[in-house]
Amino acid sequence: MLETLQLMGEGFINALTFVNLLAMAGGVTLGIVIGCLPGLSAAMGVALMLPLTFTMPADTGLIVLGAIYCGAIFGGSISAILIHTPGTPASAATAIEGYQMTLQGKAGKALATACWSSFWGGLLSCISLYFFSPLLAQLALKFMSAEKFWLGIFGLTIIAGVSSKSIVKGLMSGALGLLISTIGLDPIIGTKRFMFGQSFLAEGINTTCALIGLFSMSQAFILAEAEIKKRAKASKFTDKITLSKEEKKMLRPTVIRSWLIGNVIGILPGAGASIACFMGYNNAKQFSKHKEDFGHGAIEGVCGSEAANNAVTGGSLIPMLTLGIPGESVTAVLMGGLVIQGLAPGPELFTKHAAMTYTFFAGFVLVQFFMLAIGTLGCRGFAQISRLSDAILIPCVTVLCFVGSYAIHRNMSDVVVMLIFGVLGYLMRKFDLNTAAVVLALILGPISEKGLRGALRVSGGDIMCLFESPVCWVLIILSIVGIFSPFLMSKFEKKVAGVEVPDEELQ
Amino acid sequence: MKMKKTDFGVVGFMYAVCAFFYVYSFDLADGSETYPRFTIYLLFGLTTLYLVQMILTARKFGTESGVDEVFAGFKPLQFFVSLALTVVYFLMMKYLGFFSATVVFMFASLLYLKVPVLHSVISVVAINLLIYLAFVQFLGVRLPAGLLF
Repeated sequence: MLETLQLMGEGFINALTFVNLLAMAGGVTLGIVIGCLPGLSAAMGVALMLPLTFTMPADTGLIVLGAIYCGAIFGGSISAILIHTPGTPASAATAIEGYQMTLQGKAGKALATACWSSFWGGLLSCISLYFFSPLLAQLALKFMSAEKFWLGIFGLTIIAGVSSKSIVKGLMSGALGLLISTIGLDPIIGTKRFMFGQSFLAEGINTTCALIGLFSMSQAFILAEAEIKKRAKASKFTDKITLSKEEKKMLRPTVIRSWLIGNVIGILPGAGASIACFMGYNNAKQFSKHKEDFGHGAIEGVCGSEAANNAVTGGSLIPMLTLGIPGESVTAVLMGGLVIQGLAPGPELFTKHAAMTYTFFAGFVLVQFFMLAIGTLGCRGFAQISRLSDAILIPCVTVLCFVGSYAIHRNMSDVVVMLIFGVLGYLMRKFDLNTAAVVLALILGPISEKGLRGALRVSGGDIMCLFESPVCWVLIILSIVGIFSPFLMSKFEKKVAGVEVPDEELQ
Repeated sequence: MKMKKTDFGVVGFMYAVCAFFYVYSFDLADGSETYPRFTIYLLFGLTTLYLVQMILTARKFGTESGVDEVFAGFKPLQFFVSLALTVVYFLMMKYLGFFSATVVFMFASLLYLKVPVLHSVISVVAINLLIYLAFVQFLGVRLPAGLLF
């Protein structure tokens, strides 16, 4: 206990260095810009910025990525409130009440509510991050080879099942990713596999190139195929971006309820911020003393939605950091960032790399303060950025994809890999396959393979070794539940909000 | 919901991937082919399951082309020109160098997409400056040099 407190304290000291503070400010600003642009998603933004974190220390790199994540989730609310177009699906519910407030000349109030609620949602979510992560990591310590194999399978079934329109297509995407992950040198005996005479494939498909291609380059192609529409002009507003003491007091219970909802949703693999925002919104409506205001610019509606979607951020990091199971696209990309730094999700993050992990946690707390400050002060500027045309975004994103993938090993082979995955990602998205499952499979594939072959080696080739321990059975059952979770989730969504989650969240 | 004929493309692609890797798996060393074969069988099984699902859906609800849904709002000329410009950008980089190729690519793309000249100039300058500061100065990446610089 004392040791944990000491690590927490040291984490804050490390996080408060000038470089880390600069990283937080830069990451949050970038995240808000990405979030408020309706053509870009949080996952895409984090993927695009991964190469910038290569040369940074692991904690600073993760802080930047975490800051982009938080900033993007909040940033979506700006365009949702001002132009009635959610920047990210996580702000879809915010648009309902937020835009009504804008029409009534209360845009400043709506933005202040979004900022303040996002801040508290994100900040409170850090409590569970601090509390549950070490506990779950201790559980992961008990995992041997067979359990690691099933853990990989569980992670894939969750993301393939939940994030796809068709479960079988999601699983097919995961299997395709597993197959692609076998390209390169054999991890056990070191012989060449599917390298086709290309020496740059020895280390396998570079995860970062694949990430940039699947999430960012494919998005440029998606934008390029559609008609370039002129964005609605962001409403000019003159009212102050502040909340009165009475308003804050009134919103407090909504924040707390939405925090709890968002946190639980975040921890559950598969459920994301887009579900949380509708649940938070609906919950705020249920408990409101002014139900008649909903649909006509209810401040509590904006608060419920925004506190819930930002409360997801801290919660969603827990299964990713401790078990290596990202519940949605953004955390899958963040896991890629972790792997790039040479770190593996799991117990080691809380033992061998505890100092780095607690610095990241502290940074995640401080990021919320930056989000509040930059969000409040920069709202008017971000509102103008949200109008940026897709015609400008297409070449800009393409250039950033090129330079990002080139910077990894400083060779054009990586750019070729990125382009191939860009085309693959585009086609996958067109045909409702799941790009996040491919990324996760690329990361989990080698872990699962080592687990499977390790277990078979120890047992002398007896496949029954995969079914011996109770933990294996728990993971098998969870995998089966993971496959069927979309049915439960869709029923849950319909029951809660009567709406479908926008497809962009799935990508 | 009707069965989409476009999904035959998905099934065909997956089978082709399985066949391709299966053939090459015979070249792998002993012991090294176990896991790739496992993933090939898994992908093959799931694809077959999806095909069965498609056939059952077709029998129950009928079929539809699916093209209209998959390519809703698709602007072929704009898409293929953008794709071609991307490929040309990649090829240009080797001869012109990164920054020169980027300027040419961005201007060509922005003008084709009818972005006003002033906005185009600002975008090109901003992106090049951002890349220079972030990648060249901050990360110390030596970007491909060409005829000019």
